Amino acid sequence: MTRVQLRPSQIAALVGGVAFLGVLVWLNWAGNAVTRDGFLVATIAGLSVGSLYAISATGMVVVYTTTGTFNFAHGGIGVFSAFFYWELVENADGLELPNWIGLLVVVLLIAPLIGIVLDVVLMRSLRNAPMVVQLMVTVGLMVFLLTLTGQLWQGDRPRTIQPFWRGSGFDIGDFRVTWHRFMVIAVAALIAALLRVLLFRTRIGVAMRAVVDNRELTALNGARPGLLSSFAWALGASLAAIAGILIAPELNPLDPGNLNNLMLIAAITAAAIGQLKNLPMTVLGGLLIGLLSQHQARWLSFGSDWPFVRDAAAPVLLFIVVLALPQSRLAVGRVSSNLRPIERTTTWWEGAIGAVALILFGRWFARGSLNFGVWDPGEWDQIALNNGIAALVLAMIGLSLIPLTGWAGQINFAPLAFAGFGAFIFLKLAGESGNLLWLPVVGLLCAPLGALVALFAARLSGLYLALLSLAFALVMGKLVLPHPKIFPTIHRFEDPTLFGWAIDNRYDYFVTLLVFLGFGIFALVLLRRSRYGRRWIAMQDSEAAAATVGINTMLTKVVVYAFSATLAGMAGVFWALSKGSVDSGRDFEVLANFEIVLLMAAAGVALPSAALFLAFIPLTQALGGRLDDGGSVPWLVWLLDDFLAKFGPGLLAIGMVVNQRGAIFEMGRGFAPILPWRRDAREEMAQERAAKTTAEIGGLGLDLPFTNETVLTLDTELGIIDEVTPSGGYTHGVGTVPR
Amino acid sequence: MSKKLVTRWLAALLTLAVLASACGGRDDSAADTATTTTTAAPDTGDDDVDQPDEPDEPDQPDEPDEPDPCDVTLEATEIGVSEDEITVIIMADSDNALAPGLFEGARVGAFAWADDVNRRGGLGCRTVNIEFWDSMLNPTETENGFLKACSDALALVGTTVLFGTSTDDLESCADINGDPTGVPDLAYITTEVPHQCSSVSFHISRPGASCPYESGERDYTAAIGPVTWLAEHTGEDLHGLYLVPSDLPSTTASAVPQIAAHEQAGVIYEKAFGVSGALPQASFTPFVQAIRENESNFVYNGSNDATMAKLLNEANDQGLDLSSVNWLCTLSCYTPAFLENGDVVEGVYVWMFFLPFEEADTNEELSNFMTAVDDDFPEAWAAGAWADGVLLEAAVNGIVAADGPNAITRARLLEELAGISSFDVNGWWGAADFASTNSISDCFMVTQIQDGEYVRIHPEERGTLDCGEDNVLGVTADPSQFTPDS
Repeated sequence: MTRVQLRPSQIAALVGGVAFLGVLVWLNWAGNAVTRDGFLVATIAGLSVGSLYAISATGMVVVYTTTGTFNFAHGGIGVFSAFFYWELVENADGLELPNWIGLLVVVLLIAPLIGIVLDVVLMRSLRNAPMVVQLMVTVGLMVFLLTLTGQLWQGDRPRTIQPFWRGSGFDIGDFRVTWHRFMVIAVAALIAALLRVLLFRTRIGVAMRAVVDNRELTALNGARPGLLSSFAWALGASLAAIAGILIAPELNPLDPGNLNNLMLIAAITAAAIGQLKNLPMTVLGGLLIGLLSQHQARWLSFGSDWPFVRDAAAPVLLFIVVLALPQSRLAVGRVSSNLRPIERTTTWWEGAIGAVALILFGRWFARGSLNFGVWDPGEWDQIALNNGIAALVLAMIGLSLIPLTGWAGQINFAPLAFAGFGAFIFLKLAGESGNLLWLPVVGLLCAPLGALVALFAARLSGLYLALLSLAFALVMGKLVLPHPKIFPTIHRFEDPTLFGWAIDNRYDYFVTLLVFLGFGIFALVLLRRSRYGRRWIAMQDSEAAAATVGINTMLTKVVVYAFSATLAGMAGVFWALSKGSVDSGRDFEVLANFEIVLLMAAAGVALPSAALFLAFIPLTQALGGRLDDGGSVPWLVWLLDDFLAKFGPGLLAIGMVVNQRGAIFEMGRGFAPILPWRRDAREEMAQERAAKTTAEIGGLGLDLPFTNETVLTLDTELGIIDEVTPSGGYTHGVGTVPR
Repeated sequence: MSKKLVTRWLAALLTLAVLASACGGRDDSAADTATTTTTAAPDTGDDDVDQPDEPDEPDQPDEPDEPDPCDVTLEATEIGVSEDEITVIIMADSDNALAPGLFEGARVGAFAWADDVNRRGGLGCRTVNIEFWDSMLNPTETENGFLKACSDALALVGTTVLFGTSTDDLESCADINGDPTGVPDLAYITTEVPHQCSSVSFHISRPGASCPYESGERDYTAAIGPVTWLAEHTGEDLHGLYLVPSDLPSTTASAVPQIAAHEQAGVIYEKAFGVSGALPQASFTPFVQAIRENESNFVYNGSNDATMAKLLNEANDQGLDLSSVNWLCTLSCYTPAFLENGDVVEGVYVWMFFLPFEEADTNEELSNFMTAVDDDFPEAWAAGAWADGVLLEAAVNGIVAADGPNAITRARLLEELAGISSFDVNGWWGAADFASTNSISDCFMVTQIQDGEYVRIHPEERGTLDCGEDNVLGVTADPSQFTPDS
């Protein structure tokens, strides 16, 4: 029998946690009489809801275990599959197949097909991509699938999916467990058991896990990594489909957003409880969340100051679980896969010119001083200015991600939480006055929040860090920021003022934002060249190596988080002023955070100018609207105003598969050689062209066969051609490949 | 004059009279409601009827010709009012990534109204040009919609948005003279306090709350007619659950006056559960248990149809005798989607403040609406937008009648709208007073779902509403102090 030994610190933490829970319960006890029936009903309801989370979470864990990719799009696949099932089974104008046949078609045919296509088209290219790229592509895929589902099955009619064995079940005391719910619980447990057998007791399961550990080694032992990878994605998609179809009857009428939410946050928490690999623990985690939420609702009352506490159980648990997960080890003793080539950094005068150009161009554009010949945009009207302001504010929030995520490699899904905190500080300091002189103070006061998050995040990296920031965003959005003491239900900021100058019209505010944004970009260019900029980059490349050369990584992380919070907090002031008020119920939705992070990543989050990419959606809409007003080029209006505005964020993020360093980075690379002073860019381009003429040899022996040509290329690359290659080249059955 | 010629003249006049009644004026006495539109509505259409060369009716030779108000040189009098066109904008949350087509019905209703009014000869001696602005469930796009109306339109008609958080542009918009008059906003759905209290917004479905409002206690007027009628109808003392829409603080606040008023009217709420359309049905198990524990005989749904359907389905799954409870729901349950739940929704009472779509034969306005939207069961949003169109029609007709078609300006329109003390959409809706945001219609009718259809229960006579002061109650409450059960 194994004895569990706890360290004193762990015992203290455990006791402290239990004490905190006790105080929480004591302070918020609702006063309901504790009865057997009351306990039973909360438990049954909790198990029913929890099994929904469990079934979704197991699919996530399987995909992560067998592909190494944490799939945020798991819920999106489930949503799409559920609607497809509706089309086959429930649509009165459709096939109206029996539900079992519909289930089999979707789970065994449609979903696996989706999984295989995703693997072949997207995921294989991400094999060696940095974690942030992998995550962003799956988040982008989630957004894309939800949008696609919403567009294919629009809200013109209600869509409902009936439960299996509708209305029948068995009784426990006064309560009935429907056969459908019992099936969900049973299926969750069965899937966990079967998958455990598959992964740990079968040859294919072992091979699937082995591919994640070391693809090349597994291939050299006779496995076929490509096939295994496709199988894993097909399996994961099928599990998502099962989850979607079984959960859907609980959420009638079908709504893509609701269904995805149910399959996402709680399921991620359950998966985290299972440490992203333990399937039985994952199922238990799902059930635990369900039980917690129902018992909390039954016995506790938190009052009107906590309007969304019901939705906060899973995020709080996720926050705790991620922190309690075993520490990730420092990557030592092997070459980091994130090593980047030595890059030329932007000079200070290039940054200055860029910032001034941004301000002047934006100003002239808005004033209508620019005429492009074929298109004269004219002076911006109030709507265009409004969109322009929204775009610039988003860009300012995006700036906060550049040092944190782009340079230090700290994934952050919570930029709006920091921005909201900044708006709150501003409201407390300046009231509703809109006095921008408080801006530096707001920034300084936001820094401690960033530092606090850094203390939590310091021991985490990669996926765990992303999950922590997601939990932080949810806790801030559901618990902290909606509190009426933070933002009163009704408040209204006055027009901004600066040194007594009232910025009381949109054009002036737009120009003011341009100036602040231009200054921010210039400051980041300087910072990137500074000692701290280099430290953050070093820390991202290899935390172990950075520590070895004497960088205090803990302090460096605290500083970058504090700095990022400062930037986001100040941007939050502009954000609040541009909106006139903060709607604490809606402004901090996790999807809004996702979109900001997605677009920044798609643009190239390491570049200060990438922040301008956040203007993408407002500007495409504005441009589409202006073209629409003119009644010109209907397809272009559709492309800009309809298609790109809806699908753009998702597609751009998915596009990182082929362009992992971001669109702005690639645009810069294409643009740089034409600048007179960028001789280095021209030389780099010439080298790349030369390199492309030789064959790629990275997959030699794996994806690339040992041919005479590839071996010759290998010898050349290794610089050993003179030593080992025959003077006449390699001879093949049909001829000779010369040196 | 020969007998044959006289007969021909009579036939021609009769034909013209039939045409005029079909295409022109409205029948204000169609419904048995307490009040009717007080603004005079001149017949501005049917030019073919008012031909100048038409002879006078033979049996009324002494009555002078009524001057045609359109018989003047029309001018561009306001932004959105040209010589031959009046431009209005319908703004609604429709297209968005996650809930496509949310309030699409409002667009349908407003466009149907515009087509109908143009078919009848136009408005203010001009053709109505209606444009759609999609606010996309987005505060910036909502603000942009206000700006668009400011620059292009005489008024907004049928505004159905959830994010009316900033109305500065709406209220301070400059008119053709550069004066900050604001844009008249004839709205249907206004959830946010700034929109509810906007000085230029006129809400066809009344907020029922006092303005201005910042925090603390607020005066409300709430409908109690449906619950007092139900108590009388069933002979029971109603006690049970209230389903509070708790997605947002503003929606939670909307339940506060209802609960307070119902309780003053004698209903006892053992629980007021916070609900959300995003909750899975399994989360409703405790609510069913609460009904059982308290032997409740009443559930009032202040949320949407999906929520009520989930509770009913869960109650049915849990084996609760659905007939032991009186289920009462607002207009939100008057949807085809609700009926799709089949047997479990049988017996549910649904109350509304206008005549149901099934009674189009009893009211000309409703009949016109149903014909124009060409849908057996349109969305309620369409009805609201249409009603706003009729309100605009009444106000513009009032201006034309008083000062002619060249007097149509935003300022004059606002003045006219503010002067409409009672408006009932030509007998289709319960009358509402626009003098105060705190007033609501005191009319209602109740249907019950029977055999998959909405069947009128009260008042029994088709085409009528139950109107009376006793149907509403004034209450004062502080919405921030209310906490729904969970």
